Amino acid sequence: MKKIQLTIIILGVFFFQNCQQTADGISPSGNGTGGSLARFTLGDGTLYTVSNFDMNVFDVSTSPAVPNKLKTITLGFGAETIFPYKNMLFIGTTTGMKIFDNQNPTNPILLSTFTHIYSCDPVVVQGNYAYVTLRNGNACTRGQNSLDIVDIKDPKKPLLIKTFPMQNPHGLAVDGNNLFICEGNFGLKSFDITDPLKPIEREFIKDVISYDVIPNNKKLIVTGKNGIYQYDYSEPKTLKLISKISIE
Amino acid sequence: MKRIILLIFTAACLTGCLGNNTEPYYSVGYRPIYLSRSDIEKVVFTTPQPLKSPGKIYIKDGFLFVNEGGKGVHVFDNKDPVNPVKIAFYDIPGNVDIAIKGAILYADNGRDLLSIDVTNPREAKILNRLKDIFPNQEFPLNTGVSFECVDNSKGIVIGWEKVTSNSTNNNPSKFNCYR
Repeated sequence: MKKIQLTIIILGVFFFQNCQQTADGISPSGNGTGGSLARFTLGDGTLYTVSNFDMNVFDVSTSPAVPNKLKTITLGFGAETIFPYKNMLFIGTTTGMKIFDNQNPTNPILLSTFTHIYSCDPVVVQGNYAYVTLRNGNACTRGQNSLDIVDIKDPKKPLLIKTFPMQNPHGLAVDGNNLFICEGNFGLKSFDITDPLKPIEREFIKDVISYDVIPNNKKLIVTGKNGIYQYDYSEPKTLKLISKISIE
Repeated sequence: MKRIILLIFTAACLTGCLGNNTEPYYSVGYRPIYLSRSDIEKVVFTTPQPLKSPGKIYIKDGFLFVNEGGKGVHVFDNKDPVNPVKIAFYDIPGNVDIAIKGAILYADNGRDLLSIDVTNPREAKILNRLKDIFPNQEFPLNTGVSFECVDNSKGIVIGWEKVTSNSTNNNPSKFNCYR
Protein backbone atom coordinates (compact mmCIF):
# COMPACT_ATOMS: atom_id res chain seq x y z
CA MET A 1 0.00 0.00 0.00
CA LYS A 2 2.76 2.39 1.03
CA LYS A 3 4.59 1.57 -2.16
CA ILE A 4 1.54 2.59 -4.18
CA GLN A 5 1.23 5.85 -2.25
CA LEU A 6 4.90 6.59 -2.83
CA THR A 7 4.51 5.82 -6.53
CA ILE A 8 1.54 8.17 -6.75
CA ILE A 9 3.52 10.93 -5.01
CA ILE A 10 6.51 10.43 -7.30
CA LEU A 11 4.25 10.40 -10.36
CA GLY A 12 2.51 13.50 -9.07
CA VAL A 13 5.78 15.36 -8.62
CA PHE A 14 6.89 14.20 -12.07
CA PHE A 15 3.69 15.45 -13.72
CA PHE A 16 3.82 18.68 -11.79
CA GLN A 17 7.35 19.31 -13.00
CA ASN A 18 6.37 18.40 -16.53
CA CYS A 19 3.42 20.77 -16.39
CA GLN A 20 5.62 23.52 -15.07
CA GLN A 21 8.08 22.99 -17.86
CA THR A 22 5.48 23.21 -20.59
CA ALA A 23 3.81 26.14 -18.87
CA ASP A 24 7.01 28.17 -18.80
CA GLY A 25 8.99 26.93 -21.73
CA ILE A 26 9.59 24.18 -24.21
CA SER A 27 9.65 20.54 -23.18
CA PRO A 28 12.83 18.56 -23.84
CA SER A 29 10.79 15.80 -25.49
CA GLY A 30 8.76 15.52 -28.66
CA ASN A 31 9.01 17.15 -32.06
CA GLY A 32 7.28 20.34 -33.16
CA THR A 33 4.98 20.70 -36.16
CA GLY A 34 5.56 22.73 -39.28
CA GLY A 35 3.37 23.72 -42.20
CA SER A 36 3.21 22.12 -45.63
CA LEU A 37 5.80 24.52 -47.04
CA ALA A 38 8.50 23.37 -44.60
CA ARG A 39 11.89 22.41 -45.96
CA PHE A 40 13.06 21.04 -42.60
CA THR A 41 11.49 18.08 -40.88
CA LEU A 42 12.32 15.61 -38.15
CA GLY A 43 12.28 11.84 -38.18
CA ASP A 44 12.95 9.48 -35.32
CA GLY A 45 16.36 10.82 -34.29
CA THR A 46 16.99 12.44 -37.65
CA LEU A 47 16.73 15.90 -39.16
CA TYR A 48 16.03 16.23 -42.88
CA THR A 49 16.62 19.42 -44.80
CA VAL A 50 15.86 19.92 -48.47
CA SER A 51 17.40 22.61 -50.60
CA ASN A 52 17.19 23.18 -54.34
CA PHE A 53 18.85 19.99 -55.49
CA ASP A 54 19.21 17.66 -52.57
CA MET A 55 18.24 16.39 -49.17
CA ASN A 56 20.61 16.31 -46.21
CA VAL A 57 20.16 13.65 -43.53
CA PHE A 58 21.49 14.44 -40.05
CA ASP A 59 21.68 12.17 -37.04
CA VAL A 60 20.32 14.08 -34.03
CA SER A 61 19.68 11.08 -31.78
CA THR A 62 22.89 10.92 -29.79
CA SER A 63 23.87 14.57 -29.62
CA PRO A 64 20.89 16.67 -30.76
CA ALA A 65 22.79 19.91 -30.14
CA VAL A 66 25.39 18.94 -32.73
CA PRO A 67 23.69 17.38 -35.76
CA ASN A 68 25.89 14.84 -37.47
CA LYS A 69 25.53 15.01 -41.24
CA LEU A 70 25.21 11.46 -42.49
CA LYS A 71 24.50 11.86 -46.18
CA THR A 72 23.27 14.00 -49.01
CA ILE A 73 20.70 12.55 -51.37
CA THR A 74 20.36 14.13 -54.80
CA LEU A 75 16.74 14.96 -55.60
CA GLY A 76 17.09 16.65 -58.95
CA PHE A 77 15.87 20.10 -59.65
CA GLY A 78 13.50 22.20 -57.60
CA ALA A 79 12.93 20.43 -54.28
CA GLU A 80 10.72 22.69 -52.20
CA THR A 81 8.89 20.95 -49.38
CA ILE A 82 9.13 17.87 -47.18
CA PHE A 83 6.25 16.20 -45.36
CA PRO A 84 6.69 13.20 -43.06
CA TYR A 85 3.88 10.61 -42.86
CA LYS A 86 4.19 7.30 -41.06
CA ASN A 87 7.40 5.70 -42.35
CA MET A 88 7.60 7.87 -45.41
CA LEU A 89 8.83 11.25 -46.55
CA PHE A 90 6.92 13.12 -49.25
CA ILE A 91 8.99 15.67 -51.08
CA GLY A 92 7.33 18.30 -53.23
CA THR A 93 9.44 19.43 -56.15
CA THR A 94 8.73 21.67 -59.11
CA THR A 95 8.39 18.60 -61.31
CA GLY A 96 6.49 16.29 -59.04
CA MET A 97 6.34 14.38 -55.78
CA LYS A 98 9.00 12.02 -54.55
CA ILE A 99 8.20 9.35 -51.96
CA PHE A 100 10.97 8.00 -49.74
CA ASP A 101 10.77 5.08 -47.36
CA ASN A 102 12.41 6.09 -44.09
CA GLN A 103 11.77 3.04 -41.96
CA ASN A 104 15.46 3.24 -41.41
CA PRO A 105 15.48 6.98 -40.65
CA THR A 106 19.17 7.39 -41.37
CA ASN A 107 18.86 5.84 -44.81
CA PRO A 108 15.80 7.05 -46.75
CA ILE A 109 15.18 5.05 -49.91
CA LEU A 110 13.42 6.46 -52.96
CA LEU A 111 10.24 4.49 -53.66
CA SER A 112 8.76 6.49 -56.49
CA THR A 113 8.49 9.78 -58.32
CA PHE A 114 5.09 11.07 -59.33
CA THR A 115 5.71 13.39 -62.25
CA HIS A 116 3.44 16.00 -63.68
CA ILE A 117 3.54 19.46 -65.17
CA TYR A 118 6.10 21.98 -63.99
CA SER A 119 4.50 23.66 -60.98
CA CYS A 120 5.07 24.50 -57.36
CA ASP A 121 3.64 21.80 -55.23
CA PRO A 122 3.53 21.17 -51.52
CA VAL A 123 2.01 17.86 -50.46
CA VAL A 124 0.18 16.54 -47.39
CA VAL A 125 -0.91 12.99 -46.74
CA GLN A 126 -3.69 11.21 -44.88
CA GLY A 127 -4.53 7.53 -45.08
CA ASN A 128 -4.10 6.26 -48.61
CA TYR A 129 -4.15 9.64 -50.28
CA ALA A 130 -1.74 12.45 -50.91
CA TYR A 131 -3.12 15.92 -51.58
CA VAL A 132 -0.85 17.97 -53.81
CA THR A 133 -1.41 21.55 -54.83
CA LEU A 134 0.03 22.73 -58.12
CA ARG A 135 0.51 26.42 -58.48
CA ASN A 136 1.26 28.68 -61.34
CA GLY A 137 3.06 31.44 -59.55
CA ASN A 138 6.08 33.63 -59.53
CA ALA A 139 8.49 30.82 -58.96
CA CYS A 140 6.80 28.46 -61.37
CA THR A 141 5.50 30.36 -64.33
CA ARG A 142 4.76 27.38 -66.52
CA GLY A 143 2.48 25.60 -64.11
CA GLN A 144 -1.19 25.07 -63.62
CA ASN A 145 -3.45 25.77 -60.65
CA SER A 146 -5.01 22.66 -59.24
CA LEU A 147 -5.41 20.18 -56.43
CA ASP A 148 -4.31 16.65 -57.30
CA ILE A 149 -5.43 13.68 -55.26
CA VAL A 150 -2.94 10.84 -55.58
CA ASP A 151 -3.55 7.29 -54.41
CA ILE A 152 -0.46 6.18 -52.48
CA LYS A 153 -1.76 2.86 -51.18
CA ASP A 154 1.18 1.38 -53.01
CA PRO A 155 3.81 4.09 -52.50
CA LYS A 156 5.90 2.52 -55.24
CA LYS A 157 3.10 3.22 -57.72
CA PRO A 158 1.37 6.49 -56.95
CA LEU A 159 -1.75 6.96 -59.09
CA LEU A 160 -3.40 10.24 -59.98
CA ILE A 161 -7.08 9.88 -59.07
CA LYS A 162 -8.48 13.34 -59.62
CA THR A 163 -7.57 16.90 -60.41
CA PHE A 164 -9.63 19.85 -59.24
CA PRO A 165 -9.05 23.34 -60.59
CA MET A 166 -7.87 25.90 -58.04
CA GLN A 167 -7.06 29.58 -58.26
CA ASN A 168 -3.54 29.92 -56.90
CA PRO A 169 -3.01 27.28 -54.23
CA HIS A 170 -0.04 27.49 -51.88
CA GLY A 171 0.17 25.54 -48.60
CA LEU A 172 -2.46 23.09 -47.45
CA ALA A 173 -3.37 20.91 -44.49
CA VAL A 174 -5.52 17.90 -43.80
CA ASP A 175 -7.06 16.89 -40.47
CA GLY A 176 -9.70 14.17 -40.31
CA ASN A 177 -12.60 15.27 -42.49
CA ASN A 178 -11.12 18.70 -43.05
CA LEU A 179 -8.95 19.92 -45.87
CA PHE A 180 -7.71 23.50 -45.89
CA ILE A 181 -6.13 25.12 -48.91
CA CYS A 182 -4.39 28.50 -48.99
CA GLU A 183 -5.32 30.24 -52.23
CA GLY A 184 -2.69 32.97 -51.99
CA ASN A 185 -4.21 36.36 -52.82
CA PHE A 186 -7.61 34.78 -53.45
CA GLY A 187 -8.23 33.61 -49.88
CA LEU A 188 -8.55 30.47 -47.80
CA LYS A 189 -10.70 27.47 -48.65
CA SER A 190 -12.13 24.83 -46.35
CA PHE A 191 -13.33 21.47 -47.70
CA ASP A 192 -15.22 18.50 -46.32
CA ILE A 193 -13.32 15.33 -47.25
CA THR A 194 -15.56 12.78 -45.55
CA ASP A 195 -15.16 11.07 -48.90
CA PRO A 196 -11.42 11.57 -49.35
CA LEU A 197 -11.80 11.56 -53.13
CA LYS A 198 -14.61 14.12 -53.28
CA PRO A 199 -13.68 17.32 -51.50
CA ILE A 200 -16.76 19.48 -51.02
CA GLU A 201 -16.07 23.16 -50.63
CA ARG A 202 -17.58 24.36 -47.38
CA GLU A 203 -16.27 27.85 -47.18
CA PHE A 204 -14.16 30.31 -49.12
CA ILE A 205 -12.85 33.16 -47.00
CA LYS A 206 -11.80 35.80 -49.47
CA ASP A 207 -10.45 38.55 -47.25
CA VAL A 208 -7.41 36.58 -46.11
CA ILE A 209 -4.23 36.40 -48.15
CA SER A 210 -2.97 32.98 -47.12
CA TYR A 211 0.25 31.04 -47.76
CA ASP A 212 0.34 28.18 -45.29
CA VAL A 213 -1.64 26.55 -42.48
CA ILE A 214 -1.14 24.34 -39.45
CA PRO A 215 -4.15 22.58 -37.91
CA ASN A 216 -3.73 22.02 -34.20
CA ASN A 217 -6.37 20.89 -31.75
CA LYS A 218 -9.28 22.19 -33.89
CA LYS A 219 -7.52 25.51 -34.23
CA LEU A 220 -6.12 26.54 -37.58
CA ILE A 221 -3.08 28.80 -37.74
CA VAL A 222 -2.83 30.65 -41.05
CA THR A 223 0.14 32.69 -42.23
CA GLY A 224 -0.24 35.25 -44.97
CA LYS A 225 0.83 38.61 -46.28
CA ASN A 226 -1.18 40.62 -43.76
CA GLY A 227 -0.43 38.60 -40.66
CA ILE A 228 -1.26 35.47 -38.71
CA TYR A 229 -4.91 34.41 -38.44
CA GLN A 230 -6.25 31.77 -36.07
CA TYR A 231 -9.58 30.03 -36.61
CA ASP A 232 -11.59 27.63 -34.51
CA TYR A 233 -12.92 24.81 -36.69
CA SER A 234 -14.65 22.68 -34.06
CA GLU A 235 -17.78 23.56 -36.07
CA PRO A 236 -16.15 22.98 -39.45
CA LYS A 237 -19.00 24.44 -41.49
CA THR A 238 -17.93 27.91 -40.47
CA LEU A 239 -14.41 28.82 -39.53
CA LYS A 240 -14.55 31.15 -36.57
CA LEU A 241 -11.81 33.79 -36.48
CA ILE A 242 -10.50 33.89 -32.92
CA SER A 243 -7.46 36.14 -33.32
CA LYS A 244 -5.35 38.01 -35.79
CA ILE A 245 -1.77 39.15 -35.41
CA SER A 246 -1.52 42.01 -37.89
CA ILE A 247 1.61 43.10 -39.65
CA GLU A 248 3.07 46.33 -38.26
CA MET B 1 29.28 23.95 -84.59
CA LYS B 2 30.34 25.34 -81.24
CA ARG B 3 32.40 27.96 -83.00
CA ILE B 4 29.47 29.09 -85.07
CA ILE B 5 27.31 29.42 -81.98
CA LEU B 6 30.07 31.34 -80.27
CA LEU B 7 30.40 33.61 -83.27
CA ILE B 8 26.66 34.30 -83.43
CA PHE B 9 26.63 34.90 -79.68
CA THR B 10 29.54 37.33 -79.88
CA ALA B 11 27.92 39.13 -82.79
CA ALA B 12 24.67 39.37 -80.87
CA CYS B 13 26.54 40.78 -77.90
CA LEU B 14 28.39 43.30 -79.99
CA THR B 15 25.26 44.57 -81.71
CA GLY B 16 23.60 44.73 -78.31
CA CYS B 17 26.47 46.78 -76.98
CA LEU B 18 26.83 49.04 -79.96
CA GLY B 19 23.18 49.49 -80.77
CA ASN B 20 21.68 51.33 -77.87
CA ASN B 21 24.29 53.69 -76.62
CA THR B 22 22.44 56.84 -77.49
CA GLU B 23 19.20 56.12 -75.67
CA PRO B 24 18.93 55.00 -72.06
CA TYR B 25 17.67 51.44 -71.72
CA TYR B 26 15.64 50.08 -68.88
CA SER B 27 15.38 46.54 -67.72
CA VAL B 28 13.90 44.81 -64.73
CA GLY B 29 15.70 41.99 -63.02
CA TYR B 30 16.85 40.58 -59.74
CA ARG B 31 19.94 41.48 -57.81
CA PRO B 32 21.40 39.25 -55.09
CA ILE B 33 21.54 40.65 -51.57
CA TYR B 34 24.89 39.69 -50.11
CA LEU B 35 26.04 39.45 -46.52
CA SER B 36 29.56 38.83 -45.40
CA ARG B 37 30.24 35.79 -43.27
CA SER B 38 30.81 37.95 -40.19
CA ASP B 39 27.44 39.67 -40.73
CA ILE B 40 25.70 36.33 -41.26
CA GLU B 41 27.02 35.18 -37.91
CA LYS B 42 25.58 38.20 -36.08
CA VAL B 43 22.72 36.26 -34.54
CA VAL B 44 20.95 38.14 -31.75
CA PHE B 45 18.16 37.01 -29.43
CA THR B 46 16.18 40.10 -28.68
CA THR B 47 12.90 41.62 -27.52
CA PRO B 48 9.81 41.39 -29.75
CA GLN B 49 10.10 43.15 -33.10
CA PRO B 50 7.39 44.33 -35.50
CA LEU B 51 5.88 41.59 -37.67
CA LYS B 52 6.36 42.83 -41.22
CA SER B 53 6.66 39.99 -43.66
CA PRO B 54 5.27 36.75 -42.16
CA GLY B 55 6.77 33.59 -43.62
CA LYS B 56 6.61 29.96 -42.58
CA ILE B 57 5.07 28.92 -39.28
CA TYR B 58 5.98 26.27 -36.70
CA ILE B 59 4.46 25.20 -33.38
CA LYS B 60 5.58 23.39 -30.25
CA ASP B 61 4.21 23.20 -26.72
CA GLY B 62 1.90 26.19 -27.11
CA PHE B 63 4.52 28.41 -28.70
CA LEU B 64 4.19 29.72 -32.24
CA PHE B 65 7.24 30.57 -34.34
CA VAL B 66 6.80 32.82 -37.37
CA ASN B 67 9.57 33.41 -39.85
CA GLU B 68 10.20 37.02 -40.79
CA GLY B 69 11.16 36.90 -44.48
CA GLY B 70 14.88 36.10 -44.46
CA LYS B 71 15.53 37.96 -41.21
CA GLY B 72 14.70 35.71 -38.31
CA VAL B 73 11.96 34.27 -36.14
CA HIS B 74 9.17 35.89 -34.10
CA VAL B 75 8.20 33.88 -31.03
CA PHE B 76 4.65 33.97 -29.64
CA ASP B 77 3.25 32.43 -26.51
CA ASN B 78 0.15 30.91 -28.11
CA LYS B 79 -1.22 28.85 -25.23
CA ASP B 80 -4.30 31.00 -25.50
CA PRO B 81 -4.81 31.27 -29.28
CA VAL B 82 -7.42 33.97 -28.72
CA ASN B 83 -4.68 36.12 -27.31
CA PRO B 84 -1.23 35.26 -28.71
CA VAL B 85 1.53 37.21 -27.00
CA LYS B 86 4.73 38.15 -28.78
CA ILE B 87 7.61 37.30 -26.45
CA ALA B 88 10.86 37.41 -28.43
CA PHE B 89 12.60 37.82 -31.75
CA TYR B 90 15.54 35.76 -32.93
CA ASP B 91 17.52 37.86 -35.36
CA ILE B 92 18.98 35.22 -37.70
CA PRO B 93 20.18 36.71 -41.01
CA GLY B 94 18.98 34.75 -44.03
CA ASN B 95 16.67 32.50 -42.02
CA VAL B 96 13.76 30.81 -43.81
CA ASP B 97 13.21 27.43 -42.17
CA ILE B 98 13.15 25.96 -38.68
CA ALA B 99 12.38 22.67 -36.95
CA ILE B 100 12.28 21.90 -33.22
CA LYS B 101 13.29 18.63 -31.61
CA GLY B 102 12.75 18.66 -27.86
CA ALA B 103 13.97 22.09 -26.81
CA ILE B 104 16.46 22.45 -29.65
CA LEU B 105 15.54 24.66 -32.57
CA TYR B 106 17.35 24.07 -35.86
CA ALA B 107 17.52 27.09 -38.14
CA ASP B 108 19.20 27.93 -41.41
CA ASN B 109 21.42 30.98 -41.18
CA GLY B 110 22.74 31.73 -44.63
CA ARG B 111 24.67 28.61 -45.56
CA ASP B 112 24.94 27.44 -41.94
CA LEU B 113 22.76 25.26 -39.75
CA LEU B 114 22.31 26.53 -36.18
CA SER B 115 21.23 24.59 -33.11
CA ILE B 116 19.55 26.87 -30.58
CA ASP B 117 18.47 26.02 -27.04
CA VAL B 118 14.89 27.27 -26.61
CA THR B 119 14.12 25.60 -23.26
CA ASN B 120 13.23 29.11 -22.18
CA PRO B 121 12.17 30.69 -25.48
CA ARG B 122 12.64 34.16 -23.99
CA GLU B 123 16.32 33.43 -23.40
CA ALA B 124 17.49 31.40 -26.34
CA LYS B 125 21.14 30.37 -26.67
CA ILE B 126 23.21 29.16 -29.59
CA LEU B 127 24.49 25.66 -28.98
CA ASN B 128 26.21 24.95 -32.26
CA ARG B 129 26.93 26.20 -35.77
CA LEU B 130 27.52 23.82 -38.67
CA LYS B 131 29.16 25.83 -41.41
CA ASP B 132 28.50 25.68 -45.15
CA ILE B 133 25.81 23.01 -44.99
CA PHE B 134 23.55 24.67 -47.53
CA PRO B 135 24.52 25.75 -51.04
CA ASN B 136 24.78 29.45 -51.79
CA GLN B 137 21.65 30.60 -53.58
CA GLU B 138 22.57 30.75 -57.22
CA PHE B 139 19.34 32.12 -58.62
CA PRO B 140 16.11 33.79 -57.48
CA LEU B 141 13.08 31.59 -56.85
CA ASN B 142 11.28 33.00 -59.84
CA THR B 143 11.80 31.49 -63.25
CA GLY B 144 11.71 33.28 -66.55
CA VAL B 145 13.60 36.22 -65.09
CA SER B 146 16.88 37.98 -65.69
CA PHE B 147 19.23 38.48 -62.80
CA GLU B 148 22.71 39.50 -61.86
CA CYS B 149 24.89 36.38 -61.74
CA VAL B 150 26.01 35.49 -58.24
CA ASP B 151 29.59 36.39 -57.42
CA ASN B 152 30.56 34.11 -54.55
CA SER B 153 33.45 36.36 -53.62
CA LYS B 154 30.95 39.07 -52.61
CA GLY B 155 29.56 37.00 -49.77
CA ILE B 156 26.56 34.83 -48.97
CA VAL B 157 23.28 35.45 -50.79
CA ILE B 158 20.46 35.94 -48.30
CA GLY B 159 17.81 37.12 -50.71
CA TRP B 160 17.00 38.89 -53.95
CA GLU B 161 15.70 42.34 -54.72
CA LYS B 162 13.78 43.26 -57.82
CA VAL B 163 15.44 46.26 -59.40
CA THR B 164 14.97 48.41 -62.43
CA SER B 165 18.24 49.18 -64.04
CA ASN B 166 18.89 51.78 -66.68
CA SER B 167 21.99 52.78 -68.48
CA THR B 168 21.93 56.27 -66.99
CA ASN B 169 22.39 54.91 -63.47
CA ASN B 170 25.83 55.36 -62.06
CA ASN B 171 25.89 51.74 -61.13
CA PRO B 172 23.55 49.86 -63.43
CA SER B 173 22.86 46.24 -62.67
CA LYS B 174 23.99 43.80 -65.30
CA PHE B 175 21.38 41.08 -65.59
CA ASN B 176 23.83 38.67 -67.13
CA CYS B 177 22.07 35.52 -66.02
CA TYR B 178 18.68 34.13 -66.97
CA ARG B 179 16.57 31.34 -65.61
